[in-house]
Amino acid sequence: MADKIRIAILGCGAITRSAHLQTVLLHPEVELVALVDADIKRARLLAGTLGTKCEILADYRSVFGRVDAIINALPNDMHATVNQGALSAGVHVLCEKPLSTTAADGLACCELAQQKNRLLAVGMNWRFFDSHRLLRLVLEEGLLGTLDRYDWECGGSFDWRSASQFYFSQALAGGGVLIDFGVHLLDKVIDWLGPVSGFDYQDDDWGSGIEANAIVDLQHDGSYGRVKGRLRISRTYTLKNRFLLLGAQATAEIPVADPEVIILHRELAGTPISQTLRLENSASSSSYAKELDNFIESIRGRQKLKVDGWQALRVIELVEACYTHKRRIAEPWAQLQAESSGLSA
Amino acid sequence: MGSIASRKQRAFGVSWQEQSIFVTGATGFIGGRVCERLVQAGASRVRALVHSPHRAARIARLPIELCPGNLLDPGSLREALAGASLVIHCGLGDARAIVQGTENLLRICVQSGVKRFVHMSTTAVYGLTPPPGCETEEAPVRLTGDQYCDNKARAEQVVLKFGKRGLSAVILRPSIVCGPFSAWSTRLIENLRDNRVVLIDDGRGSCNTTYVDNLVDAIFLSLENEQAIGHTFFITDGEAITWGDFIRAHIAMLQNKPQVHEAHSEQVAKYYSKRPGLIRASFKATGRVLRSREFRQMLLQIPASERLLTMAWGWLASLPEEKREKIRARIGVPRQIRPLQSNGQHMPDEVTFATQTTTVFFRIDKARDLLGYRPRVSFNEGMRLVEQWLRFANYL
Repeated sequence: MADKIRIAILGCGAITRSAHLQTVLLHPEVELVALVDADIKRARLLAGTLGTKCEILADYRSVFGRVDAIINALPNDMHATVNQGALSAGVHVLCEKPLSTTAADGLACCELAQQKNRLLAVGMNWRFFDSHRLLRLVLEEGLLGTLDRYDWECGGSFDWRSASQFYFSQALAGGGVLIDFGVHLLDKVIDWLGPVSGFDYQDDDWGSGIEANAIVDLQHDGSYGRVKGRLRISRTYTLKNRFLLLGAQATAEIPVADPEVIILHRELAGTPISQTLRLENSASSSSYAKELDNFIESIRGRQKLKVDGWQALRVIELVEACYTHKRRIAEPWAQLQAESSGLSA
Repeated sequence: MGSIASRKQRAFGVSWQEQSIFVTGATGFIGGRVCERLVQAGASRVRALVHSPHRAARIARLPIELCPGNLLDPGSLREALAGASLVIHCGLGDARAIVQGTENLLRICVQSGVKRFVHMSTTAVYGLTPPPGCETEEAPVRLTGDQYCDNKARAEQVVLKFGKRGLSAVILRPSIVCGPFSAWSTRLIENLRDNRVVLIDDGRGSCNTTYVDNLVDAIFLSLENEQAIGHTFFITDGEAITWGDFIRAHIAMLQNKPQVHEAHSEQVAKYYSKRPGLIRASFKATGRVLRSREFRQMLLQIPASERLLTMAWGWLASLPEEKREKIRARIGVPRQIRPLQSNGQHMPDEVTFATQTTTVFFRIDKARDLLGYRPRVSFNEGMRLVEQWLRFANYL
């Protein structure tokens, strides 16, 4: 292997523009070999923006054999196919979330990575927020007491400038808000509280398969016993945007606006107090930079992947189960008038 | 109130649901509800013009076709229309989009043989404070100097021009359109929470509410009713609702009762007669424009500024979330309503002043007679539905 890890970024859309390209260029152990996009003009414009001299290619297959690793930032429907192509060619993969749009495709990727002894990392960058590790420490120390339940609301007006606009196509995206950023939340609660033993899922899809709002009730049976919780996510409404984990002795809060800290709410001698916890000596780099660093260090054999394909697969399996057993969120303000007028289908 | 049975018969009397229907402004409040109601009504071929795809989350839930395009780009518009036979034009935008965009659309509709064109106008064609005498549609439209109002008036003239050339067009003029997703309610709730609402003259001004589902009923009637062609209709809830009623209905939704400031129209008029001079006002307005999301979107269309903004985004993305949030808050869009302090007296902004001092109640007799319009969602029922939605949407 060369001194630097040779990387190609596949897909020059919004996430590459806003995160991956910059983090790759700033990493001292990474050499950007190529930017790849079917829209070659888009790739050229992006390369020009940051003045990088890498190759600009239209066909992702042409990078195999010339790079050690790829970042797969293509539309969701291409994730599994491209991952498998790269792994077959002996290339390590950092795949943007979701790993795939179906559990079967995700499983095939994981098995191939194992068979080819290549790394398959999945871009669950929310795992790299300090609060993720902090909550694990809080739980290990038993600071919350017996866990009761959690409540996580995360939502705002959709404002993602996707270059290909694949987000609003069920065929290309695989679903709506749940498979988009809902996977981050599912991944984190599973990592904290253990496997899901039961769920109930509702969304507001009216027939396109692209829900804007979803509510997931979950039950975990992990090392902290049975814990129930609710996730509410939205592309249309600004929600409370905070995670609360309620225990018998204290409540842990993670504000979405500052995911590097935990606010611990408890009582001291009957007086309510709140205490902000943060990691000392925490790197100030972005979650994407930490994610890339973990990927590079894992290729070097100095770390283990924080989120590998198998962990991402359990999330995709849950997403698939949610979509299979979904119920419609009640929207009485939208239904009543249609019924009373006799205009409903 | 008309009977449901008779309405049902009318709604199913023609098969407009089976025709290809094109909706502009579909990512907006009214257009979004139109799309939902079309789906509920069984329309199977709905095409929605989408100018800003990132704003399409609400309608992306529906089994309709999202068609990228722009009212100011006839090529994209022609492709998006794709032979639709019915057009519901709720599209807005800047001054050019309102007038020139409407003309572009109308021209393509004529060329494509569109059977019915429903134009979403507004009672604001008489200005933000319509003068007495505007109670019926026969009152001549007047230009008032307000950019939005004047451009909507000009757009109506363009529709009438194409109507004379044979296009089957119907113009609807709703007033204060309320319902789920309406900024009239969401902004009011936010302003009430911040104690920034000013009630003028005890809230006696006419509010002329139009519940969005009543408006959609009028749109559907316009699609099916031959007698409507070539006519303009006021569409309201048909109730004498005042601004006091509207604001108090929202106050009742809040658990913590806000402080509502009182002002008299004479005081406010006097205050604005001494408003900042042209240069100072222009500087303030320039600041608002530069900070606005719309301006940033327009900048993205210029390659050099797109490049600069991309670099800025990259830099922003490399910062810790806490710093990013602080920067976002600093450059965020300014609040819409900001009462001014003048010798301890809270003052409404100019738009609030103009709308709250309306004395006209628009009559809907013509819509009742010719269109068969019956506003079946009362103000109280509408507010009940709005409250349910506001709770779900985390405003309450």
